[in-house]
Order: sequence, then C-alpha cells, then structure tokens
Amino acid sequence: MKPVKIAILSLTHGHTRKYYQVLKENPKLEWIAVYAETELVKSNFQKLGYDIPCYLSEKEMFDKHPDIEAVVMASANRKHIGQFRECAKRGIHVLCMKIPTFDMQEYAEIVAMVEKAGIVCQVELEMHYNPVVARMKDILAKNELGKISAINATNITLSPLWAFPWQGIPEESYGKRIQLSPGDKRFRGGALCDHPHVFDLIRWLTNSDFEFVYAEAGPNIRPDIEVEDTLLVNGKMKNGISFLFDPSWSRLEERILIPGPGWEVFPKRMEVNVTLSGEEGIVLADCFGPNVYHNGNPNDRYTVQYTYFDEWIGLMDEFVDCVRNKKTPKINLAWHQKTIETMNACYESISTGKVVYL
Amino acid sequence: MNVIKNNKDTENALTGLLEKYNIRPTQSYHLFKGGNANEISMLAGFEFTEAILEKNQIPLLTWRLKRKFIELKKIVGESVIENVCLFRFSCMGSKDKWSLSSLLYREMDLFEFIGNGKIISVQTVISDDQAGSVLLRLDNNALCSIEVSIQMPSDSPLIDRHEIIAQRGVTSDLVVDTQIPQSSIYSFTKKGETKYTDIDMELFGFDDMQVDHIRSAFQILKSPGLTEQWQQQHKHLVTLVQLAFESNRKHERITLNSGGKA
Repeated sequence: MKPVKIAILSLTHGHTRKYYQVLKENPKLEWIAVYAETELVKSNFQKLGYDIPCYLSEKEMFDKHPDIEAVVMASANRKHIGQFRECAKRGIHVLCMKIPTFDMQEYAEIVAMVEKAGIVCQVELEMHYNPVVARMKDILAKNELGKISAINATNITLSPLWAFPWQGIPEESYGKRIQLSPGDKRFRGGALCDHPHVFDLIRWLTNSDFEFVYAEAGPNIRPDIEVEDTLLVNGKMKNGISFLFDPSWSRLEERILIPGPGWEVFPKRMEVNVTLSGEEGIVLADCFGPNVYHNGNPNDRYTVQYTYFDEWIGLMDEFVDCVRNKKTPKINLAWHQKTIETMNACYESISTGKVVYL
Repeated sequence: MNVIKNNKDTENALTGLLEKYNIRPTQSYHLFKGGNANEISMLAGFEFTEAILEKNQIPLLTWRLKRKFIELKKIVGESVIENVCLFRFSCMGSKDKWSLSSLLYREMDLFEFIGNGKIISVQTVISDDQAGSVLLRLDNNALCSIEVSIQMPSDSPLIDRHEIIAQRGVTSDLVVDTQIPQSSIYSFTKKGETKYTDIDMELFGFDDMQVDHIRSAFQILKSPGLTEQWQQQHKHLVTLVQLAFESNRKHERITLNSGGKA
C-alpha cells in the first residue's frame, strides 16, 4: 500500500505530540510537513529533532507540498472551521481533534463540505483504540453482566491551559463567550470542552443515545481562570441506563509552558475509570493502569509513570485504511454530532439548573 | 470468559505484526518447543538449558519488552531517581509454570537490565527446593534481594514486585501501600472475580506472558543485531543460576570477576 502523505496543522493542541512517534514509525504514513502557528511553537517543535519541514504559513505549506493527502488538524477548536474549508477546497483528508466545533451551524457546514469534497474526516477519540475499553466492549457483548443498569465514568485530568492557552479562552475553546450561568463570572470552554470521551464511550458501549442530562459546575479549584474546571453530569440513556460522569480538571498542575516531567501535582495526571453495573455483576475498569510509580525528579513527588499510551497506533491505522480504501471511519462527523449536542446540553443544564432532554 | 489463545495464535500474531511493519525475516521461525530444527527457535531464555546455543537458537529475554520494566529502566537510566542503592525484587509463581531456575534467570536479568550493570556476587539460601532468597551485588555497587518461590497454587498468576531505592527517590511497579500487582479490570459476577490486564491493543486477547513473547520475538526479527547480545546474556545468566544454587549448597557468597566468571 502506498503510504499516505500527511502533515500536521498548527501544533497547538495538547495531543499533538502523541502523533510524532506514530507518524514516524507507521510505514503506511509518510510525514512530509508541519505548519506551526507561531515562532515559539515552531522553535519548540524543532528542538525535538524531527527532520520535517516546518512552516509558519499554512498556505505556504500546502503550496510547497501539493502532494499532501491528509492532515492531522491539531489546532484550537475555533480554528477548525477555517482549516476544514481549506482542506475541503484542496481535497485533503482530515483527522480532526476531538471537538470539530461546538457551533452546530458550523458543524453542519463541515459535514456538507466533507461530503461534497469526498474526503475522509475522522474525529480523534482515541479511547476507541484502548485495550481496556476493548475488553469492556467484549464483556458487554458476551452479556457477562446481564442487563446494564448504570455506568459511571471519570475523565479527570490536570488542566492543559498553561501549555495550551487557547483551552482557557472561551472564544478559542467553545467558539464564543457565553456566561456559564446567570451571576457566574466564568464562561463556557473549560474542562467540559476538553473531555468528550465519556459522552462518546457510553454511546458506543451501550448502543444507545442520551435521553436527558443534568450538569452542575462546582467552584473552580483554579479561581484565577475564566472557564469551568470542576463539574459533574448525570442522566439517563434512551435504553434506561443511568450514568454519572466526572469530566473535571480536578488534578492540579505546575503551570509550565511545555508539558513534561513534573507537570502533575497529584500523582496521576489523567484518569479514565469506568464502572459498569449490571443485574448479573459489576465491572471496575481503569483505562490507564496499572503503571509504575516514583518520587524522584524533578519535584520529589509521588508520581504515576504511565506504561501505556498507544491509542494513536490503532487510530492512525484506521485513518489510513479509510483514506486508502474509501471507508467511513467509526468516529465520523455524523456519529460524533450527538456527542457534541449532548455536551452543549450540559452547558445549557449548568446555565438553567434543569434537566435537558435531547 | 476470555478465549485462551494457543501457540498457533501466538505465532500468527507475530506474523501479523511483521507484515504490518514490513519486516521480512530471512528464515522461518517458531516460538515453542518441538519446531523444525532448521528454523529459528525463539523460546524464553530459561527454556534453553544449555549455556552455549546454536546460531538459530535465540533466547528471548521476554520481560525486557514488558512495559513496566521498560519504564523502570528509563526511570533509573534517565536519573528520575538518582544514585540507586538497593533493589528489592520478589517473584512468586506456581510449579506448573515456573521453576526456581526460571524465576532466578528472569529476575537476575532484570536486576542487570534495570540496574545497568553486571552481577559480581551471589549469595543464596533455598529451602525444600521451592523457595528462598538471593542477595546480589552489581559492579556499580548496587545491592539487590530477590525473594523467589514456586509454592503458589497451580494456575496462579506470577506475583512480583520490583522496588528500587535511590539516594533521591524510590520507584516501584507496585502502588504504595499495596502488596500485589494491580489489574486494569476487575469483574465481579456470580462466577466470582475475574481480572484482566489488557495492555497491548495490537495484541488484544493475548495474556501478558504471550504479549511479551511476541513482542520480544518481533524485536529480534526487527533488530537481528540483538541476537548475539541476548545469546551472550543467556550464557551469563545460565552461569549465574548455577552459581546461585552452588552458593546455597556451600553456604557461602560466590564472587564473580569482571568477566562474569566465578
């Protein structure tokens, strides 16, 4: 199979660095260029030692590399619509970060553009390629727990906004500045915008969609930021399964500009734990464990050193397969739309204090 | 319940990985005893009883491809913990799967692999041919204890612990305040408790020992230069295991010279 010639756009998304190794190692991909949004971003990329041409202009990169077939759209949420327009115009396939947009008119425009251009658009929801999630899917498929009554899931992390400032700017993250709730000084665009995974996973695991959601934002553990950092969500799926989600940024971090060792203050910087409760039993799962642990450099704090972060291998395998064999990705725009609508419903619930039906 | 993967599945999974990453072995191979003598034989190192092996016999140091040991080695090698002093290893298995020799072979290699040195002394006490301990020292002066036992009930998983203590920091594959390894999934049903530790999506469905076996064979076929290195290390480990039992018989510490000879 001819390798897919691929580039990365912007390099400003927190997941960007996850792609470097897989783009280098996967023989089905040929990584040919990157576009960096700023001199600083370019300089940080070049320090990593990858011998890949790096441009400060997206247009220049596309013009100099007309053979680019696909991009990883690793940019702030607000940038996506413009980049989609450019890619659709040039017939370039897109692997989009987890939130194409929260604006449903823009979302419809993206769907139409992708369809008209005949390009592949896969949304990056890497938990679909996590082996613990695969095991849960298998347990459910074999009906080992009987009828499922409830699912609880966490997607708890530190806040990436010091390293990726757009994640703390409502317009960049949510797309516009909307007050979180009447009288609240905060705006939409924080932890919820960063954590679509649990909303997506429950749909995938249960083969059902949301009936209603209820959400409340807690007080911020970072009082100096203008977006929400703690919140809780519960509700019911259409098949009667109740759920509780915690998609908070409830792990504090060092406010460093480039993610690296010592970023975390709490030992485990990121957790996705899932509880499946069924009439025949219960499953408890930790999607990122077990690991190894230390209290060494740089801060002498007890720290979880992860042993597994390979979701991007399977994710890119699927993307290449879709590009080369004209397939539709599992996580396509149509599938993902209901997840985005549900996250918007959570913001509405936070604002109104009421359950929101989907 | 999980469908148990057999030897053929294991070899097929290796073939799949090789095809995916465009690696073409120059010779056919097998991963288990009883294969064609003309093929490359890639068994776990402790399965080969002879110290000197034929060219096509490759002793796999399978544990070196296990993620937790790769990370522990990085933590030591990249000075996340500084000036390592003491290693506390423990490894307990069942007789149907392990022998004291195989456990010692594995753990002594891990001490050298993570500690980045060569063992220069061995002192062992063993009781009933089934359990005991070894004290080891590396040529960089780090000291290590290894508890070993094969008295776990049949079909038990291997229970191990690897704790490394340095002047700055401690690292371990066990969570603080726990005694046994964690799993990623716990299932509680009428059939009882079931644990899963799925860590490799490309090899989903294989148990962790099978994953290590496939990954290490893949590594050898991807980097053939590793073969001689692992054959040399095998020879060294067979000697170390023999010395461990000799130490137990003589009730004395056995010192090795810098070339690894007693």
